[in-house]
Amino acid sequence: MKRPRLSLALVKVVLLCLLDAAAIWGIILLGVRGSYALLASLGIGTLLINFVSFSKRAYPLRYLLPGLVFLFGMVVYPIVYTVYISTTNTQTGHILTRAQVMEQLGQRTYAPTEARTFSSAVYQDEDELLRVLLTGANGELLLSEGDRFKDIEPDNPLLVRDDQGTIVAIGDFQLLNLGGLYSVLGQLETELFAYGDTFLKVLSVREFTEVLPLYAFDETTGVLTNLETGVTYEHVEGTFTAPDGSVIEPGFRVSVGARNYTDILTDEGIRSDFLRVFTWTVLWSLFSVLFSFAIGLGVAMLLNDPYIHGRMFYRSIMIIPYAIPAFISALVWLGLFNTDAGAINRILIDLFGSAAKVPWLQHPIWAKVMLIFVNTWMTFPYMMIISLGALQSIPSGIYEAARIDGASGLQRFSRITMPLLLISVAPLLIGSFAFTFNNFTVVFLMTGGRPPVLDAATPAGATDILISWTYRIAFQGVRGNQLALASAIAVIIFVIIATISAINFRFTKALEDVHRGV
Amino acid sequence: MKRVALALLALMLLVGLTAVGQAKLTIWADDVGTPVFREIAAGFTAATGVEIEVVEIAFSDLRGQFITAAPTGEGPDILVGNHDWTGELVVNGLLEPIDLGLRAAEFNAVGLEGFSYGGNLYGIPYGVENVALLYNKDLVPTPPTTWDELLTIAADLTDVESGVYGYIVQNPDPFHWFPMLSAGGGYIFGTDENGGLDPCDVGLATPGAVNGAIIFDQMIEDGLLANGADWDTMTGVMFSGNGGMVISGPWLIGGLRDAGINYGVAPIPSIPNGDGTYGTPKPFASVRGVMLSSFSENKTIAKDFLFNYIATEQVALELFAKDPRPPAYLSAFDKVSDDPDIAAFGQQGQNAIPMPNIAEMSSVWGAWSDAQALIGNQEADPIQALQAAVQQILDAIGCEE
Repeated sequence: MKRPRLSLALVKVVLLCLLDAAAIWGIILLGVRGSYALLASLGIGTLLINFVSFSKRAYPLRYLLPGLVFLFGMVVYPIVYTVYISTTNTQTGHILTRAQVMEQLGQRTYAPTEARTFSSAVYQDEDELLRVLLTGANGELLLSEGDRFKDIEPDNPLLVRDDQGTIVAIGDFQLLNLGGLYSVLGQLETELFAYGDTFLKVLSVREFTEVLPLYAFDETTGVLTNLETGVTYEHVEGTFTAPDGSVIEPGFRVSVGARNYTDILTDEGIRSDFLRVFTWTVLWSLFSVLFSFAIGLGVAMLLNDPYIHGRMFYRSIMIIPYAIPAFISALVWLGLFNTDAGAINRILIDLFGSAAKVPWLQHPIWAKVMLIFVNTWMTFPYMMIISLGALQSIPSGIYEAARIDGASGLQRFSRITMPLLLISVAPLLIGSFAFTFNNFTVVFLMTGGRPPVLDAATPAGATDILISWTYRIAFQGVRGNQLALASAIAVIIFVIIATISAINFRFTKALEDVHRGV
Repeated sequence: MKRVALALLALMLLVGLTAVGQAKLTIWADDVGTPVFREIAAGFTAATGVEIEVVEIAFSDLRGQFITAAPTGEGPDILVGNHDWTGELVVNGLLEPIDLGLRAAEFNAVGLEGFSYGGNLYGIPYGVENVALLYNKDLVPTPPTTWDELLTIAADLTDVESGVYGYIVQNPDPFHWFPMLSAGGGYIFGTDENGGLDPCDVGLATPGAVNGAIIFDQMIEDGLLANGADWDTMTGVMFSGNGGMVISGPWLIGGLRDAGINYGVAPIPSIPNGDGTYGTPKPFASVRGVMLSSFSENKTIAKDFLFNYIATEQVALELFAKDPRPPAYLSAFDKVSDDPDIAAFGQQGQNAIPMPNIAEMSSVWGAWSDAQALIGNQEADPIQALQAAVQQILDAIGCEE
């Protein structure tokens, strides 16, 4: 049996130690925060990595494992989370969990009639325990014991005063200075101290006041009662509602099953918006890919011709539209297409008079033309590169044979070049279609989905594609956010793209059969 | 080996636990507010020993990031933002009520109204601003007092070929469009019997609002107003001296000064109602202020900072020096109102009404902006577009007809 070299084993152990240390630190922090789902994932991931590193049978997995971990964390987990959100009613007014809302309502108080205010002083002992001494308007003293306040006589021997009469210690507890006081206020402010038949709570840095809790919740019946007004509330889909219709804000997130999906299918407004946006998205992707491929292939065939001088130079400058980040070129084109001040309209006005001013951003059709034009400009270099590569792979002997057989230029192109080209390029075309289908950047930066459409039920403009429509619903929708509906649409987009990819696989296999036949 | 491992484990436990405990405040502000708040925070830290971290976040991202981060505990203790965020944030359970008590009298009432929701105050205002008519004195020596005068001046000055615009305003932009609609009686949300806003009473298609929209439509048809002029177009025209008049706010003054434009500030001209009377435009008041997160773990300290450091005249003047919005702190406003621009905005501000801060407002902006775009693009006539917008808003809010 061959023993692995000592230095390599040492490196492996050291790296694993560092990873485990980081994981343990992360797990502790997550445990303190209460994020148990992430904690479980981190723990399982670390255990798996350790197991794979030390087990002989699972050792070959070591190259796959980091990829699998990231796949799970960055792809599978967000998908599962999106599907979960799409089955809830998460939107403005319902973004908190039930536990968070109950905690907030539990903290709400109201002032009883003639609520007294006390000035406070906080004392701390060596074990970091706290006691609070309150002084009332008439000089009465209250001392905290655990979570209650009790009256205490001014001449109680525990109280240690200094020369000015300030109480500087109570038994072992020392008066906190300003800095110490500020560091413990966070702990004190969430507690309700019982006193007689009312409660005492922090009012400001040096004051306490009498309060009464505003809400009482009965676990068994699920009824929330407002103790000040006596009104009872029961929760209806995440909002506590009274019989007369008034509600308590905030509401919380509850599961509503498949309602978001059925809304898309049955609600007339959403359904018509969905169909309109879906149709435009398909057309947009189709025309973009078609035009950019046509131009890219045309340029590639020209550049493939050995008789053209300066091919390197042309190829270099043709790459530029693809090389510039989409963000920058989209914004520059937006400026060029500006209806009043843009260069394109100014040129058209100079050439054809002011009737030729085109409302690029204001008219639905022209806005679509503009988007397809800009996307074609940005994508054709990519098509040019892949076409160049694919054209090189077609042996020139076939062309000579075809010429001898009397094939015309067009026949050579359609019978030889295109089929052989499509074998290698087709999956890339389909990939480009899928990418353009979801090309949020260009659409959102240039038009934001506008110009608007009259009588649209959701924020769906004339140039909105599915993904930008989802974004607008999520962040510019009714009352602000409609995350649940947007998640449902996102899941539908996922299904569509997954179907396109599946077709992609089938399609490439079919073409491989064609190749084998040639 | 085992002992070393145990020791390391214990060390890590300690590190994890001590991460909780030290009192610290976090403030989120935009690029203009951050330097000022850092200076104020330094004073607070020196006096109390509490660290304050001021994080700079782009203004357009502040609200969205706060909504995402606050429930997870990653949000700030104090948020610097606009008053129209109040409704949405309160409805999501993210803001803590602030009780100013008698100190409320030290502040501008419109500012306090902007941050109030459901009877509670959720923010301390520090700047109240509204739009007015800014004009280039070289092109327009005397500002118009009625809208007819404005149209005459614009007709004389506008020469699209050479790029001179007598009158320009960002459009579609409902915030800047509102004075035209409100002059004749248009409004966003009516008031209900309790004095709060009634989201099912949308007044964007009242005869007064339609009147304003018709005037807007006519201006575009006559070529007196550029359709679709965005911020960059408008600032380009104004800063190059080619713009006569613009409806904008104090945020434009810095750029006008830098460009050397001889500018003046005047109230927005009154709008003819069509029967011989004129209506006074009522622009929106936009209030900038400081809010307290309900997920803060140091609310008492944060309130101490807000009441004793932010809500003071000295800080109001410091904020004004860096970010020239008319102060909401009344004694600070008196001190700075010998600046003629501030005085002019303040004069217009007497007719200003705060933007509605209820969460339903976000449904309004989108539909309203679309209506203005449809009218400007000549794809719908004003009454049709506004009625469709009102219907869309009511449907989105879920009101029953």
